[in-house]
Amino acid sequence: MVPEFWSEFWYGLPVVAQDALWFVFLLLPAILAGVAVVWSYRPFSLVRAMIWRYRWTNALFVLLIAVSVGLGVGLIAQERGIRKGTARAAEKFDLVVTAPGSEVQMMLATVYLQPVDVPLIDGATYDAIASNENVALAAPIAYGDSYRESSVIGTTAAFVTHLSGDLTDGRMFQAVDEAVVGARVPLDVGDSFTPSHGVGDGAEEHAHDGVSLRVVGRMAPTGNPWDKAILVPVESVWKVHGLPLGHRPERDGQIGPPFDPDYFPGTPAILVRADQLWANYALRSEFTTERTMAFFPGAVLSQLHGLLGDVRQVMSVMAVVTQLLVAAGVLAGLAVLIRLYARRLALLRALGAPDRFVFSVVWTYAATLIGAGAVLGIGVGLAAVGIISRIVTARTDILVEASLGWPEFHLVAGFVSLTVLIALLPAFAALSRDVITDLRS
Amino acid sequence: MSLDLTIRDLVVKTREGRSLLTVERLDIPAGSRIGIRGPSGAGKSTLLFAVAGLLKPASGTVAWGKHLVSDMGAAERARFRRENVGLVFQDFLLFEELSSLGNAAIAARYAKRSSRRRIVESARAGLARLGLDTLGGRRVDSFSGGERQRVAVARALANDPAIILADEPTASLDRASADLLIDDLAALSSETGRTLIAVSHDAALHARMDLVIDVVDGRPLV
Repeated sequence: MVPEFWSEFWYGLPVVAQDALWFVFLLLPAILAGVAVVWSYRPFSLVRAMIWRYRWTNALFVLLIAVSVGLGVGLIAQERGIRKGTARAAEKFDLVVTAPGSEVQMMLATVYLQPVDVPLIDGATYDAIASNENVALAAPIAYGDSYRESSVIGTTAAFVTHLSGDLTDGRMFQAVDEAVVGARVPLDVGDSFTPSHGVGDGAEEHAHDGVSLRVVGRMAPTGNPWDKAILVPVESVWKVHGLPLGHRPERDGQIGPPFDPDYFPGTPAILVRADQLWANYALRSEFTTERTMAFFPGAVLSQLHGLLGDVRQVMSVMAVVTQLLVAAGVLAGLAVLIRLYARRLALLRALGAPDRFVFSVVWTYAATLIGAGAVLGIGVGLAAVGIISRIVTARTDILVEASLGWPEFHLVAGFVSLTVLIALLPAFAALSRDVITDLRS
Repeated sequence: MSLDLTIRDLVVKTREGRSLLTVERLDIPAGSRIGIRGPSGAGKSTLLFAVAGLLKPASGTVAWGKHLVSDMGAAERARFRRENVGLVFQDFLLFEELSSLGNAAIAARYAKRSSRRRIVESARAGLARLGLDTLGGRRVDSFSGGERQRVAVARALANDPAIILADEPTASLDRASADLLIDDLAALSSETGRTLIAVSHDAALHARMDLVIDVVDGRPLV
């Protein structure tokens, strides 16, 4: 049982202090072993000379440790980075209302712009949502068209501002033939394009021939797939499909809300933002009806993450098991490497060096290689997460910014402690060798 | 400090039980210079290792003065060597990446704190005595064979031992270097009263010894 005063002390500490203490605690066996083994001797310059003697072999050994540690560290850092990245991408989507169906599918379509064919929400429903007293923002999200790699989404100016704040270039769309592009869309302000009907390989390139939309502004980066989207007034999407434009004929030319329910052709999804946090829950139950489904993308995502939690544990266990295997490999490697020095170690013993000194030389040599490998491994891990994050970001358009955190440092500290303790074994083994045999070898 | 060597009924066997060396009686007074010669495999080096306390005999006694080396455990024998014996090997056995002083004063790394300074000073003086003080901090892998062996001699002397044991000290040297080394070893022994026992095929070395013992078929002919 943990004494009460201890748990009070521990949980009273800031998280950073807890993490730092864990790190020290995990590294402590290595530090204590080092102090105990080297106490009162000066093996360091001898060890340096030994390492230099077979520098390439030793460098290769250090590199192998570094790559193994780097991969273990990279694995868990990357997993966390992806989790954070996907969560951040969903941040702006408080509550989404769609036609009833799969929440996961609708979330993928609305937040991550993975196209899907869905029934539309009609004008009366949209009107009910938009006119609800707790709703601050109700924006149609009309997907289905594309231009090259980019989805073309019909929405409102308020949603554009909600998503990315002020534009970095140009101005907001003000007419049906104007568009604002995401930060990573390869179109410049002033460029024109013709959208295709559909998305991806199934897109019908010439379905909307004769339509020309002009880019008038560019959004700030958002770190989610919307950086590659092209946003147009929802009226523009309706227009290219030959549908009513959402407003009575006498208000022809109006862009944005309010929409007239009788002339509202429908939208696959509506983003809803409440003015109060609590109101989101009220709105969700209110809009969960036979004809509509309301869900929090963040909650759906955390359910998914929860499901993947087991995978995460498996990955963590894999990382630890990998490190254990590396430690076993290190042991085997050291046993071989130390044979390279058998004659010099026999010399020390012949000259009368105490066994504990020879032991400290062998152990310090092993610990130096392990320590160097671990430190270099952190560098390899950093480089690995940097590269993999860039690849994942490019492939998914979800900004993944993986960086090394305490869990990785804990893993490395545990690895170092374990392996330097294991390194005591070859140090003992070195003492059991026959001095005369090694001297004559 | 001078130590007489007394050997009685010494038998050294291989791990498998085959007899390597038998010495019924051998007495060497302190300060003697003894050469040991004989055909390869006759047991010369085994005799040297036995008197150095590097191996545990199957039976019999090896004593340096009051130190009954043959009865000591490994740690005690190591301490005895550390305090009383200087060893020189055929192929120098230096740490090539260290300087001459780093090698000569290697015992300071594991000596008691109180004697470290003395060992370093003694190593420095030994190197100067052997004409190596001008080589500075260069690594010994850039040294000639003669220079390396003299570094090894300085290392053997650094703890001011009463006994110097040398295993074929001139075998890896050219004639001129070998002669210089023989001069040094002989002088170091006679100046300070150290006992010198050198296993060698080198007649020039034998000529400078007080006594040369032949070892044939695992037995010294005395």
